[in-house]
Amino acid sequence: MKRLEFLRYATLGQYLPGDSRIHRLDPRIKLVAFGLIVAAVTFSNAYLANGILLLAILLLLGLSRLPLGYGLQSARLALPALVILALFQLVMPARQFGTGATCAIIWQWRLLQLTDCTLRLIVVSTARLIALLVLTNLLTFTTKTSDLATGVEDLLAPLQRIGVPAHELALTLSIALRFVPTLALQMERVVKAQTARGADFGASSRFQVIKTTRRLLPLLVPLFVGGLRRSERLALAMEARCYTGGRGRSRRTRARAGLTDYVALIAVGAFCAAMWVIDFGALDRALWLWLAGAR
Amino acid sequence: MARATTQQKQPLIQIADLHHRYGEAGERPIEALRGVSLTVQPGEFVAIVGANGSGKTTLARHLNALLLPSQGEVHVDGLSTARAAHWPTIRSQVAMVFQQPEDQLIATTVIDDVAFGPENLGLPPTEIERNVQCALRTVGLWELRHRPPHLLSAGQQQRVAIAGALAMAPRCLVLDEATAMLDPAGRREVLALLKRIHAEGTTIVMITHHMAETALAERVIALADGRLAFDGTPRRLFVDPARVSRLGLEPPPVTALAHRLAQRWPGFPTDLLTPEELANTLAKRIAPNGTSALVPSMPHQNGRLSIHVKDAHYTYLAGTPLATKALNGVNARIHPGEIVALVGATGSGKSTLLQMIAGLLSPSIGQVLLEGTDLDAWARDRRTLSQQVGILFQRPEEQLFEPYVGDDVAFGPRQIGLDRATVRERVRWAMEQVGLPFLTYKDRFTQSLSGGERRKAALAGVLALRPHLLLLDEPTAGLDPRTRRELLATLRHLNQEGELTIVLATHNMDDVAALAHRVYVLAKGRIAHQGPTRRVFSRSERLHKLGLEVPAVTSIMTALRRRGLRVPATVLTLEEAERVLGARLAPSPVHALEGRPT
Repeated sequence: MKRLEFLRYATLGQYLPGDSRIHRLDPRIKLVAFGLIVAAVTFSNAYLANGILLLAILLLLGLSRLPLGYGLQSARLALPALVILALFQLVMPARQFGTGATCAIIWQWRLLQLTDCTLRLIVVSTARLIALLVLTNLLTFTTKTSDLATGVEDLLAPLQRIGVPAHELALTLSIALRFVPTLALQMERVVKAQTARGADFGASSRFQVIKTTRRLLPLLVPLFVGGLRRSERLALAMEARCYTGGRGRSRRTRARAGLTDYVALIAVGAFCAAMWVIDFGALDRALWLWLAGAR
Repeated sequence: MARATTQQKQPLIQIADLHHRYGEAGERPIEALRGVSLTVQPGEFVAIVGANGSGKTTLARHLNALLLPSQGEVHVDGLSTARAAHWPTIRSQVAMVFQQPEDQLIATTVIDDVAFGPENLGLPPTEIERNVQCALRTVGLWELRHRPPHLLSAGQQQRVAIAGALAMAPRCLVLDEATAMLDPAGRREVLALLKRIHAEGTTIVMITHHMAETALAERVIALADGRLAFDGTPRRLFVDPARVSRLGLEPPPVTALAHRLAQRWPGFPTDLLTPEELANTLAKRIAPNGTSALVPSMPHQNGRLSIHVKDAHYTYLAGTPLATKALNGVNARIHPGEIVALVGATGSGKSTLLQMIAGLLSPSIGQVLLEGTDLDAWARDRRTLSQQVGILFQRPEEQLFEPYVGDDVAFGPRQIGLDRATVRERVRWAMEQVGLPFLTYKDRFTQSLSGGERRKAALAGVLALRPHLLLLDEPTAGLDPRTRRELLATLRHLNQEGELTIVLATHNMDDVAALAHRVYVLAKGRIAHQGPTRRVFSRSERLHKLGLEVPAVTSIMTALRRRGLRVPATVLTLEEAERVLGARLAPSPVHALEGRPT
């Protein structure tokens, strides 16, 4: 009960005002760069490549002048999940992951065996998830939600002709992010109110599904009813302000990319291209050999 | 914001025999409006009043085509709301501000939010920029234009919402209880703003439960059961107390006092609305000297449970870049049997302190003692603590979750493992206490109750645990006058007969005057001032500076003193005011003035 503060855990979409290089980048450029790095992270399965990517992301975090601990917080919160994931991968070894070569057994105990393939899978998937979490936080911490939404809208605009509702998607994104803190606070209030009435949301036997669900009703009903009421009120307020969808709408401001933005985009593009082109698998093997030789 | 109104001879809004029915086809429809006809001329300031469920909100939503008539017609500037092609014009002409500040702000910065309306109208960017800037300067928030709305106070949020409406350059602004959720300073800000934009030519239609606010309007429309029950000046409405009470309303404090005086002193005028008018009238008829002592109300000593807050600090989101200090070394004591009020502007730490006393937040530094034992130790056993301390949050009616009222009230007693008979007894007792008769209400659907009844049910849910200490956060916010009066009476009864100790956090100083023995004034996480209610309210300038105000009756007395009458400055309630002034009205000066034989 010491820290019943849900906002602490609702960091999704939160914006931390600042004036760093990263903060000032054009949101469209930032989104494209984000996409490129995400692709690079997703397609790299060598140790070295993931190490370099993690370092690059930390460098960006440094450039954004966000407090390091806060930037890494979501990764820290996800740690238990990552450990569980790693254990699963250990029990169900992936024989073909990585190089496609045969897997060498590194360590064995009864039925459990750790091959170099499994090790790679565990290390790389953990690194990837951490990289993606930190990267997402970096994007939302340094970009105003409204900029993010208009960025998405602008990037999707060319697809509007083939029926992609760019404006509606952007608005939905923006409203969703706008209400994350509001809903977290509402949830917190409901939990507190029901706790004060003697409700117990603590541990329960994990096999009594019905009982557990029933126990959550005092939380879920007010949350859903409240959420629906809130969205009804929001829709009404939007309608009262003449909202009828994207058609016929104008915009107060439009982002304009400058020289720095393009330089940043080219740098990120070049970096990701390099990550794609360089054969990190071979470098990894060379590294292993060198390490083995040194020993 | 005002447009040239030279050529407009036609009414701005014209409503003819408006009916509105809610409900799907096949169900029995609920008639919210049953034949309302009225017109609003350009430049008017109209207040709409009525009990909960009288159709006020439904009527307001017809003014800008958010609802369409089931029968009858609504015309805005000559355009019928029935035609969809008219809606953009109508909605930009008649803009709307709602009750919940946080649920009408769409964008993540102030300036983007204000631009939302003009953007929807497809205005060119330069014009949007001009409108937005003009609107934000009008409401005085231009400097804060890059803030995210959730970091503004409720009063500021509501001004953003008004700016968002003004940016569409409307001719009329409709406000649906837009001040109900605000603290006194926020309310003052918004009302002053309305007065100014009205003076600049904008028509204002304002729904309110706050009767003193109707004094701002030139015209009051009262609804009852979906019908027009009154249409005239506020003075004419409040002069007839029987009608006011029949409509489920109550007169503003000044008028109420005038009525009381008129009973003692036949012929005393009752069509008074402002403290100044009352002061002027009284000054002519009252003996300038003479005093009447006031007996302070004392808490009885029979209650149980004492609370001691020792040097409590609390920081939200501690250890993050968003950390905010909410409490900064608070010392407070709650004695058994007392009613204590916590007052202070939004963000002063009232709610935090309340949650701390409930054992829901534990101080980062300092401690809270319940009966001499640290609350953290108590909080380890929630079930025991919940039978000692009950808490009712803001808008508790939104936290009901069981389909049937009786089950919801029974939630707490069942959680602590009471047997069936005891649970039933507890539920019956709690429901009777709050004025929801057990047999009539226990099997009603929770969602079918009115807002006021749901709030009473939520209170019953807490009372059913038979706590010795009850904590309340804004217990009367958003209630209509009658429900508010009933709730206050319930609380007073529970304190006097049930020996329940009560702590309430509130923006409503009249609630404080009606209930509290003692007051803590919070400012920026510290206790700025404390003492018996009467003494705290004797420092009106100081309270004003902290964004608060004194109860309506106290400000009437201040106005009297300003006119040179020697009356006590710390009169809190109508009863006291009547007693103090009545003692000075000896021997029937009206009769003397008018030379009538007795």
